[in-house]
Amino acid sequence: MTTEGWHLAIADALRRNDIRYFATVPDFIISQVLHHLWEDETCHVVTSSREEEGLGMLSGAYLAGKRGALLMQNSGLGNCVNTLASLNIALQIPVVMVISHRGDVGEYNAAQVPMGQAAERILEACDVRYVTPHTVEEFEAEADGLIKLAYTRNLPVAFLLPNDLTGGRYSK
Amino acid sequence: MNRNAATKLLAEKLTNEVVVTNLGQATLEMQQVRDRDLNFYTFGSMGQCSSIALGIAQARPDVRVVSLDGDGSLLMNLGLLTTIANQAPPNLSVVVWDNEVHQTTGGQPTATGLRTSLAAIAVGAGFEHVLQPQNEEELSAAFNRILNEDGPFFVEVKVDPGPAAGEMGRDLMWYKLRFMRALAALHR
Repeated sequence: MTTEGWHLAIADALRRNDIRYFATVPDFIISQVLHHLWEDETCHVVTSSREEEGLGMLSGAYLAGKRGALLMQNSGLGNCVNTLASLNIALQIPVVMVISHRGDVGEYNAAQVPMGQAAERILEACDVRYVTPHTVEEFEAEADGLIKLAYTRNLPVAFLLPNDLTGGRYSK
Repeated sequence: MNRNAATKLLAEKLTNEVVVTNLGQATLEMQQVRDRDLNFYTFGSMGQCSSIALGIAQARPDVRVVSLDGDGSLLMNLGLLTTIANQAPPNLSVVVWDNEVHQTTGGQPTATGLRTSLAAIAVGAGFEHVLQPQNEEELSAAFNRILNEDGPFFVEVKVDPGPAAGEMGRDLMWYKLRFMRALAALHR
């Protein structure tokens, strides 16, 4: 059981599933994945002003034949809900969401906690299939299958990344 | 200017361009004026019309993309203008039908009828090409530019308030699939 290299494992899983177009509002945790994508010339990463905007962009790219992933913190999931429901789910437009999970065990910032505790229920309320891999092995066991499911059914899916996988972000 | 006439002016110039339309008036007007396979209509996700257009433009740099947005919707997602200006896809234009009201919900005033200028915001966001046509002749010239020159362009079109005529087609999935197939069939 290992967590070392979790960020490269995620970047590689996205790339081997033909995802090269990314939108993000970065955070400390997700930036560790972004570094691999930023330095890859075959990847196009757009930093949007708001996560919902990234969802719109990625949806447009899908309509034009390109797969996309949205990398963000779970606070951004809150910013996405209307577009997730009224665009991606209503029109069956798939997207892969990679979400760092703040506001759960180990959190130091009280403002993060309510959205952190709501994250899974928001995904469930929208019927978004998601996984919460705690190790690289767990991630690898589910990654290709979850991404495949997104494009089989043409719906959004999510990787919700817990602290024990990513190391989280702790106050000094 | 009248939005129906302005939409007709654009529609008669279109060939192989993608047009993405904002929920409500822009979608209904375009359906009525010139329904075509390369139109992508939005019916919800307020604020995302031009985000979707940006994604299409970046995925298909060989195709020109025109977003027909609205003032109320764009005000909800102003940050997008900074993303477009910095990504700077040359094949994308954002046209805003600015009627200074939330027409679809009953004509409640928006900020653009008060102190706010979307064209000035676009300049501040970093758009190099910001057009403010004041009459149909200037609008026609603006459309000729966005359909022939490198952008991105931002075009603020002040239009009269009032609902578009006709019945809206609401078969979301059918419109989506028709659009995807037409765009995929457009040779690169």
